[in-house]
Amino acid sequence: MPPPGGTPPPHPPPDGGWGWVVVGAAFISIGFSYAFPKAVTVFFKEIQLLFNTTYSEIAWISSTMLAVMYAGGLGLAFNLQPALTIIGKYFYKKRPVANGLAMAGSPVFLSTLAPFNQYLFNTYGWKGSFMILGGLLLNCCVAGSLMRPVEPKASTESKNKVGVRETDCSMKKRQKKLSVWEEINKYLDFSLFKHRGFLIYLSGNVIMFLGFFAPVIFLAPYAKDKGIDEYSAAFLLSVMAFVDMFARPTVGLIANSKLIRPRIQYFFSFAVMFTGICHLLCALAEDYTSLVVYAVFFGLGFGSVSSVLFETLMDLVGAQRFSSAVGLVTVVECCPVLLGPPLAGKLVDETGQYKYMYLACGAIVVLASVWLLIGNAANYRLLAREKKKSIHTKESQETEPLKTSQSPSVNIKSGKNEEWKGAEVNSSERETNI
Amino acid sequence: MRALQGLRGPRAPSLPLLLLCFLAALRRSLEHGLSTAAPFKSLPVQEEMMTKYSNLSLESHNISVTAAPFTSLPVQEEMMTKSSNLSLESHSISMTEHSNMPVEKNITLERPSNVELICQFTPSGDLNSVNVTWKKGDKLLEGNYLVNATGGILYTQHRVAVINSKQMGSYSCFFGEKKQQRGTFNLKVPEINGQNKPLITYLGDSVVLTCKCQDCLPLNWTWYGGNGSVQVPIGVPVNDKYVISGKHANETRLKITQLSEDDQGTYLCHAIFELGESEGHVKLVVLSYLVPLKVFCAIAAEVVLLVAAILLFEMYTQKKKKPSDDGKEFEQGEQLKLDDSNGIENSGPRHRKNP
Repeated sequence: MPPPGGTPPPHPPPDGGWGWVVVGAAFISIGFSYAFPKAVTVFFKEIQLLFNTTYSEIAWISSTMLAVMYAGGLGLAFNLQPALTIIGKYFYKKRPVANGLAMAGSPVFLSTLAPFNQYLFNTYGWKGSFMILGGLLLNCCVAGSLMRPVEPKASTESKNKVGVRETDCSMKKRQKKLSVWEEINKYLDFSLFKHRGFLIYLSGNVIMFLGFFAPVIFLAPYAKDKGIDEYSAAFLLSVMAFVDMFARPTVGLIANSKLIRPRIQYFFSFAVMFTGICHLLCALAEDYTSLVVYAVFFGLGFGSVSSVLFETLMDLVGAQRFSSAVGLVTVVECCPVLLGPPLAGKLVDETGQYKYMYLACGAIVVLASVWLLIGNAANYRLLAREKKKSIHTKESQETEPLKTSQSPSVNIKSGKNEEWKGAEVNSSERETNI
Repeated sequence: MRALQGLRGPRAPSLPLLLLCFLAALRRSLEHGLSTAAPFKSLPVQEEMMTKYSNLSLESHNISVTAAPFTSLPVQEEMMTKSSNLSLESHSISMTEHSNMPVEKNITLERPSNVELICQFTPSGDLNSVNVTWKKGDKLLEGNYLVNATGGILYTQHRVAVINSKQMGSYSCFFGEKKQQRGTFNLKVPEINGQNKPLITYLGDSVVLTCKCQDCLPLNWTWYGGNGSVQVPIGVPVNDKYVISGKHANETRLKITQLSEDDQGTYLCHAIFELGESEGHVKLVVLSYLVPLKVFCAIAAEVVLLVAAILLFEMYTQKKKKPSDDGKEFEQGEQLKLDDSNGIENSGPRHRKNP
């Protein structure tokens, strides 16, 4: 069993109360993280035009822009990670709903930032707009200040006692010297690469992201190619964002239901498959109405995938290792996300038609969904088998410690706590034991 | 021919002029069956001759009535070559008797050229009873146009040698007397594109204003700036503040450095063509840094307030919990000690806190 990395034992998630405030804070953080870069790229195009007319040196301009993007990207990454992680700390039973609500921040912010940015640019020019947008980003500090750490519940006496005991033990552990590899493992849990569920998730996602974003990026040019005017083409994206906004919390609710939650990995695979089929059918779209229908269904698919994207990861690796997992996943996933659209663009250039690009992207996404389906079916079976084994071994173990206990009251209650920890450890493999 | 040699000079002899006018009138009457217009018009004589000569030179191929004796003249030849070197553009519009909207066509001309304007008309009734007239602006044009009728459609053609800005404008063909159908050709110089949205800049910055012409090459560009109605040419006293440049002939750039509030306003870029002038405008707005800074400070203040409020709230709720927590922990510490020493007698004094 991989070590929890020296972290203190997990406190039971409140599943409500202050948790909903944290969801709101995560909503703001995620909104800024995802929507801000997309909205700002529009500025960059205009600024580049401006600089081309005023200066002839292009090299330092592009490098300055890249540096700004990296610095901005780094900052926003620091923003996104904690927001996702803290939801796992605060919620367990209602975690899919919390995830869905928080992820809804992205389309809401995107649809409001786009016209707002236009207004800012027309009123203050690009220098003033950046100053004001920077100010708005400071609101992330407000969001951050709302993310309080989960407080230990001082409701029962024994829990504290055990807590005192645990700290004694862990302090002894800490005095042992850790190797370099273990030090790195504390911060970035590379042992996750041995985790079966994690590997299935990662590989499936890498394949999916190759064909996921290109259709969004090329939707407006595809519409214009069909002879639709600029404003109607832009409207398609608004339709998609609007549907996305409502799809995310709704799908979060669905994913939370008793029927779906134990099989949430299958649900994720089906959502991916739905999106893939949408792309395939888009190749058949001829007129504006069919494109609008496609935008609606794609918004639905995009929203459902995004909503459960991180929920499934949490489900697979557990709240403990989630922060390392999400870090690793985003690092690996950036390759297909970066490569996908340019490759798709090349395909369009080669064939001269957008239809083939949509067919190709749809096929890739459907392939990813099939892989995820098969992989997770196998994973569920193996987990069920492992659980049976561990129950048998635990039963044989539990008869011993009761004899060596010092006081009956302590042990009964510590037993309960261990059960919680045991469940946590077990569910780090599969958290759907509701 | 002696009499005709006199045409070389500036002084125009009367005999050839009369002959010409008669021929022109004769030709027109042959076409329309009407006896028309006065031989002497208000146009300056030179110009009249020029247009007539050029027309004659062209039409010599179509109608054998005129022009043969005059084609050998050197002056005529000169004018003929001048006009025949020009390119010929042909534009046509068609209308029916019942078209409600006046038909218009915009023609963009950059260099001098011969322009052929053709109007097609499909009457419902008799072809021959339709009256055809041409007008430039509001002025009726005499001569210089053909009328032809083929297959139930009436064609009329008017040729203009556009050499300078005086020939630019609106030319209209009219069909019928009572219920006139009108077709208009608007001869214009190319349009210049400035910037539709105002440029927002800040004090002390530099800015580049561009004016572009899509497919044309103006002879010269000039910039005018100023507030309100006073247009002051820019760049005339060449200084560091204004730099006029342009990578290609079809665009011009005005770079203004060290912007101040006085530089605000609308700037006009004039493009000069052989056939006239055209202009585009660019609006410049100069703001002070305080304007967005105020907004930024407002947002920052709001953030600081919210964070302070949240932290205070957090401290307040923590304080509420703390006194009871301390008591509980102390109690548990006691319990632990007692439990640890289970079975072993307590020799030390008992410190039990009374709740």
